[in-house]
Amino acid sequence: MKDFHIERETKSDVQLVKLTGSLDMYSFPRLEAQLSTLLDQGLIRIVLDCQNLDYIGSAGLGALIGFAKQARLKGGDVKLLRVPERIYKIIELLGFTKVLQVHETEDAALGSFTA
Amino acid sequence: MKTPDHVRVKKTTGKMQIATPGDVSYLAYIRAIITDLARQVGFPETEVAKIEMAVDEACSNVLEHAYARDKQWRWQHREPEIRLSIRTEAGRLVIEINDHGQSFDFDQYQPANLEHRVAQMAPGGYGIHIMRKFMDEVQYSSNDQTGNTLRLVKYLKKT
Repeated sequence: MKDFHIERETKSDVQLVKLTGSLDMYSFPRLEAQLSTLLDQGLIRIVLDCQNLDYIGSAGLGALIGFAKQARLKGGDVKLLRVPERIYKIIELLGFTKVLQVHETEDAALGSFTA
Repeated sequence: MKTPDHVRVKKTTGKMQIATPGDVSYLAYIRAIITDLARQVGFPETEVAKIEMAVDEACSNVLEHAYARDKQWRWQHREPEIRLSIRTEAGRLVIEINDHGQSFDFDQYQPANLEHRVAQMAPGGYGIHIMRKFMDEVQYSSNDQTGNTLRLVKYLKKT
């Protein structure tokens, strides 16, 4: 089990936030705080790189969906990148892939934000 | 797997009992135990992921709601604790999650349709939906002697 941590970098006016570990009730407040800060700063184009995520619970999903909604109201979005297959199947079954954009490559994710 | 501090584990043939402090930092350990046992029963990986999430939701609900500080717990004098009893039987996994926090009228709770909640981009309230969707049986009971118990069962389906 990897410890949860967050790394962030800016690429082409998009915040690329890399997540490692498990996003559950224990760790999701930290992601919430990070996303809240970004939106407060007007940084509304966010991509969450999930390549190193090994679990996401409904607290994390709820936070993501809430922030995506807020970002969209401001003309931005929160999108997912490289979601591991095990997690993708679960979020697809729950219907989250109908409301959250998921990309397989960084170029596709970054390019999906219209200028 | 190393047992974390303050966790009690008891193993017998086909059954494992775990008691963890009622704290969110123990959820990862609980998930690791559950996924390991689910794989031992022979569930394919997607079903293991479903079981993992259902149990995590159940335990998270206990921590967030049953043991909320402003609620009336069944046994007020005891520190919060989550007690799991997991039975690996031929063709199924039976998980009972027990707590002594506030009880809940589980059967009366009928959350709005999951699809609708997701479409509305609701920021929470998915836990019970997930348990009912991902497990084959979900039963809740509560009494003064044993506290609150959520029973989750998953059957290994033949392919």
